[in-house]
Amino acid sequence: MNCPKLKNWLEERYDWEGMKRFAKRKLVPEHRYDLWYYTGGITLFLFILQFLTGMLLAFYYVPHIDFAHKSIIEIVTKQNLGWFFRSFHHWGSELCIAFLFIHLFGTLLLKSYRKPREFLWATGFILLGVSIFFGLSGYLLLWDERALAAVRVATGGAGNFPFIGGFIKAFLRGSIDVTGDTLTRFYAFHVAILPIITLLLVGLHLLLMQYHGMSVPLSLEKEKRREIPFFPNFFYKDLMVWLVVLGVLATLAVLLPPEIGAKADPLAPPPENVKPEWYFLFLLETLKLFPGAILGLNGETIAILMVSCAILFFFLIPFFDQRSARGEKSPLFTWIGVIYLLYFLTMTVVGYLS
Amino acid sequence: MKLKYSLITRRTFLNTLFGGWLFAFFAGTFSALMKFAFPTLGKEPDFVVLNRKDFTDLANNSVKRFPWGGVVGLYFKKADGSVLALKGVCTHMECNVAYKPEERRFYCACHNGWYDENGKNISGPPPKPLEVFTIMEEGEKLIIAKKGVKVELPKA
Repeated sequence: MNCPKLKNWLEERYDWEGMKRFAKRKLVPEHRYDLWYYTGGITLFLFILQFLTGMLLAFYYVPHIDFAHKSIIEIVTKQNLGWFFRSFHHWGSELCIAFLFIHLFGTLLLKSYRKPREFLWATGFILLGVSIFFGLSGYLLLWDERALAAVRVATGGAGNFPFIGGFIKAFLRGSIDVTGDTLTRFYAFHVAILPIITLLLVGLHLLLMQYHGMSVPLSLEKEKRREIPFFPNFFYKDLMVWLVVLGVLATLAVLLPPEIGAKADPLAPPPENVKPEWYFLFLLETLKLFPGAILGLNGETIAILMVSCAILFFFLIPFFDQRSARGEKSPLFTWIGVIYLLYFLTMTVVGYLS
Repeated sequence: MKLKYSLITRRTFLNTLFGGWLFAFFAGTFSALMKFAFPTLGKEPDFVVLNRKDFTDLANNSVKRFPWGGVVGLYFKKADGSVLALKGVCTHMECNVAYKPEERRFYCACHNGWYDENGKNISGPPPKPLEVFTIMEEGEKLIIAKKGVKVELPKA
C-alpha cells in the first residue's frame, strides 16, 4: 500500500516519519528464553477478545434474578451463533487466566520483576487479581446452582477476614445472602467497574513496558546478544502466535461448550461434589488443611490471614529481592519462586482430583 | 506456448495470496460477529388470528387495539357501524396513532398528523395513508390479513 497523498496529509499534521523511525528503533532481544515474551502478548490478545465477545453478549443478557438464567439459555438456543459466542467467552476467560499465571510465573522465575521494573510487576499482579474477580463475577451471571454455591463460598471466605471481613462480605453481597442484589452488583462489577480498571492497568502496564523495554534474564545480561526490530519482525511473530491461540480457543469453544446448570435456588442445598473454577482450587485446598479451631481461635480466620500474607509477600517480592536488583544471582528467590509454583500446581491438581 | 516472462512476480503472487487469505479471515470473523449482533429481526406478520367474541360488542365510533406483530393494529367501528382494520402506526415517523371520536379522525401526536375515517392522510406531515387490512371471519375466529395475502391457517 502506497498512498503519497495520505502520507503527506499525515506528515503535515503529525511527525509520521518520526513515529516510523521510533517503531523501527524499538528492538526485542533474541535469546533462548524469548518464548516468554509472547505470554504477555497472548494475554493482551485474549483480553481484547473477551472485551469484544462480552460487549456482544451484553446485548442479550438480562441481569435480573428472574430472567438471568433464562436469557443465557435463550442466547445459546435462539440467537444466531449465540452458542458459539457464549462458549468462546467462557473459554476465553479460562485461557486468559491460564496465560496470566504462565506470564506471572515466567516473570517470577526469570526475575524480570527486578529493578527497575517493580511497578510493571505490581500492575501485572493487580491485573491478575482483577481478572480472577472478573471470572468470579462473570460466573455468577449465569445464576445456576454451581455459581450460587461458588459465590456463597467466595464471599463467605472473604467474610472471615479479621476486622474488615464483615464489610467486604456485605459490600460484595449487597445483602445478607447471595441474592438478586448480588447479581446486579456483580453485573456492574463485570461490565462496568472491572473493565475500566482493566483498561487503565493494561494501559499503564504497556506504557511501563514501552518505557523500560524488554527485560533480559540475569544469566544472559552480560552475553553479547542479537536483537530484532519490534516492527515488523516481532510484531508479525506475535500475530502468528495470536492466530494459533485464536484457533485453539475457537476449537475449544466449538467442541466443549460449557454446561448451564439448573437455575439457582437460594433455599436448595448445593449440588453434590460442587467445585469452583480451577484457579480457586489451590485456595480451597489450602483452607481445607486448617482445623476448625486453632488455640481457641477461628481456624478459617487464621487460614485466610496466612494465605493473605503469602500473597502479599508474593506481591512484594521485587522489593525484597535485593540481590537481583543489584544484578547478582539470587538463588534464594529462585527457590521461593519454585516453591510457590509447585505449591500452586500441586494444590490445583489435588483439588482437581479430590 | 511458454512465456518468456512471468506475468506476475513472485511477490505479487504471494501478496495476493496472503492478502486474500487475510481478507477472507477478517470478513468471516466480522460477518460472524454481525450475525450475532443483529438478531433474527421480527418479521411483520401476513395475518393475525383473533377471537371474534372480543370484538363483537364494540360500540360505534370507537376503536379496539390488537397486536399486529410487534406493533399496534386498530379494529375500528365507524359511526355508521361498518368496520375497518388498520395498522395504528403513523406513516411519517412510526409513532402510534390515536382515534379522536369527537372529530372522527385519527391523530398522531408526534408531529401533529391527521388521517380521516378511512385512514387517508389529510393534514400534517404523514406522506401516505394508514395501511388498511382485510377482515375475514371464520367461525369463532377473526382473521386480519394484509391486503392480497392468501391466508392459510395451520391445521389444529
